[in-house]
Amino acid sequence: MQKNYSRRHFLNLVGAAGGSTAIYQTSLALGLLPETGPLALADIQKIGGHRKKVLILGAGISGLASAYELERAGYDCTVIEASKRIGGRNLTLRSGDHVDELGYDQVCNFDDDPNLYFNAGPARIPGHHKHVLHYCREFKIPLETYVNDNRNAYTQDSKAFAGRPVRIREYMTDARGFLSELLHKAVNKNDFEQPLSDEDKERMLQFATVYGDLDTNAIYKGSSRAGFKHGGFVEHGELKGVLDFSELLKSNFWRYRMHWAEGEDQAMPVLQPVGGMDNIIKGFVRHIRSPILTNAQVQSITLRQDGVDVVYNQNGKRNKLSGDFCMNSIPHHLLSGIYNNFPKDYAAALASIERGHLCKIALQMKERFWERDNIYGGISWTTQPIEQIWYPPHGIHSEKGIMLGAYTFRPENGRFFERLSPDDRIKAAIEQGEKIHPGYGDYVDCGVSVPWGRMNHIMGCNARWSEELFRTSFDRLLNPEGRHYMMGDQISYHSGWQEGALSSAHHAMADINERVQAEISGPTALG
Amino acid sequence: MFCGASSHADESPVIPPDEYVFCTVCHGVQLKGNPLIEAPRISRMEAWYVERQLHAFKKGWRGRHERDLNGMEMRPMATSLSNDDIDAVAAYVRSVDSERPAKTVQGNAAIGRAHYASCVECHGENGEGKEALGAPSLTGVNDWYLITQLKNFRDGTRGGSAGDNYGAQMRAAAQILTNDQAIFDVVSYVSTLPSKQEK
Repeated sequence: MQKNYSRRHFLNLVGAAGGSTAIYQTSLALGLLPETGPLALADIQKIGGHRKKVLILGAGISGLASAYELERAGYDCTVIEASKRIGGRNLTLRSGDHVDELGYDQVCNFDDDPNLYFNAGPARIPGHHKHVLHYCREFKIPLETYVNDNRNAYTQDSKAFAGRPVRIREYMTDARGFLSELLHKAVNKNDFEQPLSDEDKERMLQFATVYGDLDTNAIYKGSSRAGFKHGGFVEHGELKGVLDFSELLKSNFWRYRMHWAEGEDQAMPVLQPVGGMDNIIKGFVRHIRSPILTNAQVQSITLRQDGVDVVYNQNGKRNKLSGDFCMNSIPHHLLSGIYNNFPKDYAAALASIERGHLCKIALQMKERFWERDNIYGGISWTTQPIEQIWYPPHGIHSEKGIMLGAYTFRPENGRFFERLSPDDRIKAAIEQGEKIHPGYGDYVDCGVSVPWGRMNHIMGCNARWSEELFRTSFDRLLNPEGRHYMMGDQISYHSGWQEGALSSAHHAMADINERVQAEISGPTALG
Repeated sequence: MFCGASSHADESPVIPPDEYVFCTVCHGVQLKGNPLIEAPRISRMEAWYVERQLHAFKKGWRGRHERDLNGMEMRPMATSLSNDDIDAVAAYVRSVDSERPAKTVQGNAAIGRAHYASCVECHGENGEGKEALGAPSLTGVNDWYLITQLKNFRDGTRGGSAGDNYGAQMRAAAQILTNDQAIFDVVSYVSTLPSKQEK
């Protein structure tokens, strides 16, 4: 029977064999990918002697950027932060730092050393996150390459290869080899809806051969890309055996992780500030003159026709501020615990988003044992609740290192760790890490955990939008309600990313600027 | 457009002592409850009941059962409190007021009233509670929270620990609610009861 394939079908087949890189390259060639737009920094005009008061709720990245930009244009800003700390989820933990988790006060017991820090929130900056990079440039924050992907790291799946960790290099090389062989056979038969021309067919056969490193008979028999069993320098390199294809398919690595680092946000190279992500927060704080009130917990938000009133508690006193505008980055799931007069549909849209349960655990390792295993940075993946292990790319060959011992993407895994005491979290992280690196626990000096669903005044990360919610609620929340603007990464398509927070803040500021300019220059300013 | 700006918080504020601000992070301003965190309204809750429950969390009678996920979230808060802290928290909780929570459950209150007959002896005709019997007031508690707790009592998630005598009593009482509809109905009835605690 003749089987016909559409072009999309064909692209899918290419994708199965080559992953998203192959699709990306093919799509690029077909002109299907949009160009990256220019940086949408709000151009906020100076307002001269016109007094405009802006109340900014939350001193995370979006609140700080708003204060910084607006005060420079002459706005009178006050930042109101519930926690004792400035920075929100941009949190770098070092020796002696307090971890403000509800019910479990922790102290970070890392050694006092500039390399020994843990970015508990954002930890990497992709090259197209232009707002973040803009501020790094503006505040002269030194950046370095962060290693986010490493083929020498491992994938470990309890349901495949008898639970044995497999080098990502071997897995990917063999997966592509096997699939290229199948692709080669399919192309050879040329059973497509619109059959390939002879020339295209020949090119495609070569593509499959090169892509999978097939032999002269178009069969995959292993590749040096997987690394040699031994030799390869002054002795002839002997190829590693080929992984069992059935085991390879049983592993869930191909479902998601295998192509994860090909996403635009995760693909190498990515960057990190030298010495900790909170250098960005320090940069803002150095430059902001507006008051940033800490330990100031918002009690009520009242929208008025011509402004917004905010009541907050601070130092045992209740205070009220009135602003012409309010920019609100309080986590959406905490707003239903704060008095407000939001219209029903606005409150309902805010309430429709579930809070996330991301959790990170960091371990101080006595020795950088992974470097002796050829691993310099990157991520190992596992199907266990810890999900990932990150190897620090900074401080290479120094004595100790802070390893990320868990980073849970699945809410159920985050909640698993939330339910454990801090000590039990470290124990669980070690036990699971042992499946990837036997003897792992012997290297652990101490650890610290940050389950965002339990962090004081935050209680969640990141806002869990669905396609359906984006359709029904996003525009409602992106746009202001009267003079009140919701913002932060929670009001973006990049929830959980600083770039989402900054894009959202700049979107709100552009709107405020437009309204204020219209007020200043329009007839209403006279009347 | 923005008339009726409700700010109960402005009218009768009780500013939490700094060391207990954390209660309001989940339970909301004035402890008015936050359904998104699944933290119930506890404003005006009887001090003796708050104390007993904090001790129950501390002992692991609550918040240790594998199905009690919300209880597990709460439990570390209680374990971090000393006995003196517990007294102070209970006094603070009792001192704070907020308006009664909105009704969210649609049950048959008339049928619920019949079920409620067996609750009257301990919780009182108007759900006002009886301290002498260790039974708390039921009015002013979020209906969704009552439902969760009745289900927990019924299936032994709550009230099944050795030593938790009040819990065991309530667990036995909850067995008359043989299906979820009965729970919705009785809670719908409770939410019609006049609130004594706000007087």
